[in-house]
Amino acid sequence: MKHLTSIATGALLGLTAFAGPAAAQGSNNILTIVREVDSDRYDPQRSTARGASEVIFMMADTLVSLDHDMSTIKPGIASSWTVSPDGKTYTFKLRNDVSFCDGKKMTAQDVVYSMKRWIDPATRSPVRWRAGKVDDIVATDDFTVEYKLTAPFSELLYQLTQSFAVIIDKANVEALGADFGVKGFNGTGPYCWGEWKPRNEFRLKKHAAYKWGPPIYENKGAAQIEEIVWKIVPEENTRLAAVMTGQSQVTQYVPYSGLSQIRANRNLKLVDSKEAFWTYFVGFKIDKEGVNDPAVRRAMVMAVDQKAIAENLYFGEVEPAYSYISSEALDWNKAVTPIKTNVAEANRILDAAGWVKGADGFRAKDGKKLSPIVYGFTGSTWQKLMEAIQGDLRKIGVDLRVQLFDATIAWGKMATQEFDMFGMSFPYISAGDALNLYFPSANAPTPNRMNWKDPQTDELLNKGITALNDADRAAAYGEVLKKVHEAAVWLPLYHEPMKIAASARLAPFKAHNIYGCGLYKGLDLKFVR
Amino acid sequence: MLNHIAQRVAMSVPVLLGVLLFGFLLLQLVPADPAAIVAGPTATPELVAQIRQDLGLDRPVFVQFGIYLARVLQGDLGVSLISNTSVIAELGEAIGPTAELMFACLVWAVPLGIALGTIAAVYRGRLLDRVVIAISVAGVSTPVFFIGLILMQYIGYHWGLLPFIGRGGPLWSLDGLAAIALPALTLGLVFIGPIARMTRTAALEVLSADHVRTARAKGLSERAVVMRHVLRNALIPVVTLIGLQAGYLLGGAVVTETIYSWPGVGRLAVGAILASDFPLAQGAILVLALAFLVINLIVDMLYAVLDPRVEKHG
Repeated sequence: MKHLTSIATGALLGLTAFAGPAAAQGSNNILTIVREVDSDRYDPQRSTARGASEVIFMMADTLVSLDHDMSTIKPGIASSWTVSPDGKTYTFKLRNDVSFCDGKKMTAQDVVYSMKRWIDPATRSPVRWRAGKVDDIVATDDFTVEYKLTAPFSELLYQLTQSFAVIIDKANVEALGADFGVKGFNGTGPYCWGEWKPRNEFRLKKHAAYKWGPPIYENKGAAQIEEIVWKIVPEENTRLAAVMTGQSQVTQYVPYSGLSQIRANRNLKLVDSKEAFWTYFVGFKIDKEGVNDPAVRRAMVMAVDQKAIAENLYFGEVEPAYSYISSEALDWNKAVTPIKTNVAEANRILDAAGWVKGADGFRAKDGKKLSPIVYGFTGSTWQKLMEAIQGDLRKIGVDLRVQLFDATIAWGKMATQEFDMFGMSFPYISAGDALNLYFPSANAPTPNRMNWKDPQTDELLNKGITALNDADRAAAYGEVLKKVHEAAVWLPLYHEPMKIAASARLAPFKAHNIYGCGLYKGLDLKFVR
Repeated sequence: MLNHIAQRVAMSVPVLLGVLLFGFLLLQLVPADPAAIVAGPTATPELVAQIRQDLGLDRPVFVQFGIYLARVLQGDLGVSLISNTSVIAELGEAIGPTAELMFACLVWAVPLGIALGTIAAVYRGRLLDRVVIAISVAGVSTPVFFIGLILMQYIGYHWGLLPFIGRGGPLWSLDGLAAIALPALTLGLVFIGPIARMTRTAALEVLSADHVRTARAKGLSERAVVMRHVLRNALIPVVTLIGLQAGYLLGGAVVTETIYSWPGVGRLAVGAILASDFPLAQGAILVLALAFLVINLIVDMLYAVLDPRVEKHG
């Protein structure tokens, strides 16, 4: 018996010594990316989570691609394109050397099928509006696609770079039925579907024939990594430790508290980008009692100290936001004056508006206490944020009541009219992208959860969408930005930066920001040692 | 023997029914609407109502339980709301890694625990005994997650000796062994304590028994006495204890799997509950309960093998 024990412990100790170098190395040409959440499925037109998009970008291609500057449109599957003078017809010339992972050649028919499935009401795509008001999409020959609109849509090319607009294979979609994007997926991307174990890992294999990548990459051929493993590790400190010990070689999901450690570590580097467009905000339902008073909203925006939040909660790694979109984004309006933190002024505004502080320190008007309910997501991010906001609002006599829900039910809860405020974060590529999502009257009750129904806004947005040149578009969107900003419909919190932790074993690569997916197509990922 | 087993199996049926009911009712308390989850965030209220009807969620709770029970009896545990695969398939994927983890934990923890307990009994009252007792008490009283985090911090992170994010491969490969080492160590450390203590107590009792005195009088070496005469009898209560501890082991596996991203049933259960994936959560709970019952059944049989008296009375 003792004998057995000593063998077992000996074996275990030996193993520990043995596995040391091997564990730190990882297998030769397999790249492990740790992330926090999985997607419920990988159907490009039905999954809107970043967790789906970041994998889909690697498995499939779009007609056009977006450069690292987040504003230049570059070729993709389409080598060139023309727009008719009335802005209603886009003609795409496709490459003739593109094939799917299963070896089948890709033609214009596949593009037409993919786009039509996207806008088909039966698909129930939550991002259908991103395709514009489509009249028809036709293949005029095997490598030409005409995309016809009923009205000009200035955003179209940007929208066509998103993961929702990737080219899929009809035969594959029909063969898999409800299992499409769950059991398999046939795309033309640099990596192919390997195996998905929900909430555990997603394996992608290199697509050897690939040579039609976007020109934004140094690498013009097939991917240089044999296999990519997207691994789910929910605990943020474990993700940090996994990167520090080389078990994961690249990830954008490390906690802000760990960034200084990564910078100080010789085996790691931090790849970041200026054009990170992902913003956190709290929105007001502008027709609910209390927060329907613009003075109250303005005072609340003034009371929250974004700078303190950025420093105390995020170690100074995020940019405090005083505007609804990043000032680096396309069509940003320089005429918008930020509402800066000023508690004294906020108190003055409320006094002037007739909100009187009671014995408990909270304000009331006409016997109604100022005590709005805010809905948000559970999890460390929003929990800490809401606590900070609640504390700041107490300074001006607002009693914020916080209710957080798990992501699986939060979306449903936020589609109701039960709350006064809500917490949200979102990716965008331009002013139009953000404004057309949240501010059209038609988009209430969700995603326009503010119930912002303003004919002038609708008119301006439509002007922006149908603009035939950049100046008109920028002017129209700039007007809307100014309008909603002055009405204090949102309380902006911070702009999330794009910071990717990467092993020094990887060759240099650039961080992208499309839909918050830092690795985009991953074509420049390569081990140099 | 067969009678004995049949009796035991019959006794576990009401337990399983209880588990099914309990799991079902627990998930009724979760403030999430499965229909809303299936429908997705952008669905209209009409669609959600339609799906509620399809899923039978608009009927009384006990009718729902009846339908659920009928399905389970036919071997249909439903379909995961999230990944659209059958629950049986998802569980099938996860059972292997959990069994692996259990095996990797027991294979070293049980012999080591028994050895430590025996040593403590033989050297009763001396320093060695005190050390073993101290180790057992520490092991019993330290929570699994704490041991896991400490091991991860030092062995995994500071010294970079072993990986700690998930499974590396099958047990017979070096990668697989390296990946399972930390989880198995974590789970095993909690398990050693109670086994060592029980072995010590049982061995002490046997050491003073008549047949041991006879064996010594025959001139057998102390080592032979302990190995041949003491251990066989001392193991009876130890086996029982291992059976009783299996529950803790499964509970510990839930925590260990979550910490180390180990793709087993425990982690699946946690993930499913967090994602409000009801069918999957119910299935995972059912599997964990079944495992508990099966382990206890095996222990009962072992007990009968070790102690012939059980059969006559049992």
